[in-house]
Amino acid sequence: MRKGITEFSIKHPWIVLSVAVLISVFFAIQFPKIKIDTDPQNMLEVDEPTRLFHSATKEDFALSDFIAVGVVAEPTAFTADMLNRLYNITAEIEEIEGVIVEDIMAPSTIDDIKQGAGGALVIEPLMEEEIETDADARYVFGRIMDNPIVRGKIASEDGKAIAIFVPLESKDISHRVAGEIREITDRLGGGATFHIAGLPLAEDSFGSEMFTQMAYSAPAAMLIIFLLLLMFFRQMKIIIAPMVVAMMAVIWSMGLLILSGFTVHIMSSMIPIFLIPIAVLNSIHILSEFSDHYKKFKNKKETIRHAINELFLPMLFTSATTVAGFLSLALTPIPPVRVFGIFVAFGVLVAWFLSLVINPAIMVLLSEKSLRRFDSADNSGGVLARIMHSFRSFAGGRNRVIIGVAVVVLAIAGYGLTLIVVNDNPVKWFKTSHPIRIADVAMNNHLAGTYMNYLVFEGDDTDRMKAPEVENYIQAFQRELEKDAIVGSTTGLPDIIKKVRYELFGADSAQMIIPTTQNEVAQMLFLFEMSGGDPDDLYKFVTPDYDRANLWVQLRNGDNMAVSGVVERGNRFLAENPPPEGVTVQWAGLPYINVEWQRQMVNGMRNSLAGSYFVVLFMMIFLFRSLRWGLISMLPLTITVMAIYAMIGYIGKPYDMPVAVLSSLTLGLSIDFAIHFIQRLRMIHARTGDFSVAFHEIFESAGRAISRNVLVIAVGFIPMLFSTLVPYITVGSFFLAIMAVSGLVTLLLLPAISKTFSRALFPVKNSPELEPVPVETVTTK
Amino acid sequence: MRNLSRILIIALVAIGATAAVQAQDTAELMKQSHLAYYYAGDDGKSEVIMRMVDKKGKERTKEFIMLRLDTEEGGDQKYYTYFKKPSDISRLTFMVHKSATGNDKRWIYVPSVDLVKPISADDKNSSFVGSDFSYEDVSGRHWTEDNHTLVGDSTMDGKDVYVIESVPKKAYKGFARRISYIDKSNMLPLKEEYFSKKDKLVKIMRAEKIENVDGIITITSRSMENVKKSRKTTVEFSQINYNVGVTDDIFTERYLKTPPRQYVK
Repeated sequence: MRKGITEFSIKHPWIVLSVAVLISVFFAIQFPKIKIDTDPQNMLEVDEPTRLFHSATKEDFALSDFIAVGVVAEPTAFTADMLNRLYNITAEIEEIEGVIVEDIMAPSTIDDIKQGAGGALVIEPLMEEEIETDADARYVFGRIMDNPIVRGKIASEDGKAIAIFVPLESKDISHRVAGEIREITDRLGGGATFHIAGLPLAEDSFGSEMFTQMAYSAPAAMLIIFLLLLMFFRQMKIIIAPMVVAMMAVIWSMGLLILSGFTVHIMSSMIPIFLIPIAVLNSIHILSEFSDHYKKFKNKKETIRHAINELFLPMLFTSATTVAGFLSLALTPIPPVRVFGIFVAFGVLVAWFLSLVINPAIMVLLSEKSLRRFDSADNSGGVLARIMHSFRSFAGGRNRVIIGVAVVVLAIAGYGLTLIVVNDNPVKWFKTSHPIRIADVAMNNHLAGTYMNYLVFEGDDTDRMKAPEVENYIQAFQRELEKDAIVGSTTGLPDIIKKVRYELFGADSAQMIIPTTQNEVAQMLFLFEMSGGDPDDLYKFVTPDYDRANLWVQLRNGDNMAVSGVVERGNRFLAENPPPEGVTVQWAGLPYINVEWQRQMVNGMRNSLAGSYFVVLFMMIFLFRSLRWGLISMLPLTITVMAIYAMIGYIGKPYDMPVAVLSSLTLGLSIDFAIHFIQRLRMIHARTGDFSVAFHEIFESAGRAISRNVLVIAVGFIPMLFSTLVPYITVGSFFLAIMAVSGLVTLLLLPAISKTFSRALFPVKNSPELEPVPVETVTTK
Repeated sequence: MRNLSRILIIALVAIGATAAVQAQDTAELMKQSHLAYYYAGDDGKSEVIMRMVDKKGKERTKEFIMLRLDTEEGGDQKYYTYFKKPSDISRLTFMVHKSATGNDKRWIYVPSVDLVKPISADDKNSSFVGSDFSYEDVSGRHWTEDNHTLVGDSTMDGKDVYVIESVPKKAYKGFARRISYIDKSNMLPLKEEYFSKKDKLVKIMRAEKIENVDGIITITSRSMENVKKSRKTTVEFSQINYNVGVTDDIFTERYLKTPPRQYVK
């Protein structure tokens, strides 16, 4: 079959190219149907219990995702000028489409519960109109500090920071709304520094910046790869082939993804970036082989036949292992990761097939005359060749040292793996210099936090939340959670009850307690509703029939690790202090959802990585028909995976979503060089029957191809290192590291092992199970 | 030429005058409606069942007794409310001295702590006992606070109605625009639609049931639908009596703590 495909391409290049172009056009016209989804919540299954509970909680308590707008000023933000600016800014924010006006929390929108004229209990807007003097501003500050419901949320204890919480109809408008708010604060802010923060904003902005980034980095990578190939092969026409293969693989798989109705998620937006190098790899091997041997054959068709024949099996297996690596993602519990895995796998298959047909078709169309000049400098005495020669002498001369170093590296890496910290935070997907990161730091330093988790207390009956023992339990829970340094504040029904009671008794601190009877609890809440309190404010903390209560747990840090710490603290408290009868306690909130999907992702990735490691091992044993070779071929992969992840452990980079997903890429790519190296080493040995000849020759053919690949992919993705988005930097670094480490290990450790154990590994008799070598193949001089 | 401009001037003046007269007439219609609904009789007493249905269809009820005394027709009023249900607020009482010109005064008696407390009265748009009715919906927004325009005539459930648009004279949080459908035969508001600043329909008041009580045509059930929040509150009035001779002394702090036996059982 392999001959058939190549022969067909050689005989009918125009048909092959036309069909490929037609199919590409078909997939390309699917692109306008693209549906983009940037919601990390979709990392969880639609019917995942955590997610369902989160949605139900939002619905039951009419909660919205919000972004926080803050201003920090020295020595105080509480001046008449600043409050009046905020007053006008808030008024304009209310006009923005998609903002839930009645739920905005700002000095000018929140209610104050206070002593009015004649000792009246008054609930009214804290700052209904612009104020006159700084004394008025200090009064406003004092009122906020005297109100546990808003204290810390909208003003810092030192009065230097003020925040406005802007709830949104849906979080996928965060980026747009933030832009409009930015315009308002620039215009009305009087030059003060305004910050805009919040998890929904980070998530939504990441989504929108991600596509800009993709539109820039994919073509940039293509361009650099193109230039590098041009440098290596000196023949513009011939290097069109790898580019065409890569582009078509991307178009086909993205087109099919869109056609299948899947949304393009944060994950799947990375498909092109993953596919380009994989697609280019095979073509570089073919081009390398072609350029190395064209001089000998002086006939393009023969050279093509030779190259494909040499490379068919290694290409099949490198592609199959990459497919296996990515398909294993289909077993994870994270839907976007599954889609990503399946479509990258599809793209790899496409790339494999296309490199078998497009490369020959394009080469055949080139005139023999133009190929005469196709004699690149590296082939015999070039830089690459010289480098390969030194690799050869080093690997041959210091073989035992190399093996020793490899063992030490493995040991050091093994320890590094134990240092890995699992952590993620969508805000930290942006560089520290990004406005979202700066806002995150500034606001969480001063205020009670921009990350909101919820703890839901569910009773078995109507009015259960009015029971004093339930209120006391919620209050005890609050005190426990507040012991955690990242918990900036907790707000719940007990705070409202106590605040009303305190004001009812003429602002007497001794009366700021939870009542002892259910009737009194009910009457305090009724008093709140009667005195001008908005019942909808109340229903953010309790359902209208009082069967469930919602505690707002405001966090200063959205790192999954930090959030997990708070969740665990709560769970410990829950285990040690069982809730009143009939009451259950459960977490909700975006930070909590992120913790949950990270947990599922880490576990899912670990399983799929382990699974595909063994699948690849079996494939190698099958390919080489040898247990020993199977195990040896796994060495570059093993060392690469361990070294890269150990590096992550040592430098303290958190193991986050991109790092987790990249494990499958690492696995799929770092086996490739080993396959090419071993398969061809054995083929040459089978052909010549002489290990030293094979050892010499492998550095000429496979060695050069591998080093070209290392350079092309590693350098091609260097632009990604300058991205403003951390996951892109991570991906770029991984490409570099995978190529460098697996290339080095393949070109040093594998020859060293081959040499050291050559007698056992290369018996004098030819291995009968290997393909017979075509007679026309000429041996090297 | 001169004649022509004279005719024009006369015409313009006439149109202006008509508009002015019309605005005045419409205000008069609103006044009549206001008096018919909020000032029926000199005083009144009724038992009220308030049903609040949330967006999930769950229902909560409150039951209370309401007394009203008109100090002056179309002017000041006094209200007294005694809560019976739910049981955890029973015996709680509430009193309003409504001022047609200045601020109201409100007091609440909290039985669990045995305390009478004056409470906030500035914000007439705030919710009444947590329902979808505001204080103002219960005791009425004075017709002089809005500019009224007669949009036209129409029919509703076979009744001839005036359709009147009211816009607050001073910017107001409660609504930016209100359309009232007023029954021409008895001047009762059959329906009111409230629009927000962004001109979105936010709530709808409907007269659900109209009966003749002691010769006075009375809305005995009305609802307020909160369109935005998908909620609805219905109040049903029963055992309605007009001109029962409620005296002014009932509306004092003493009766907050000790409800008047003759009306509250």
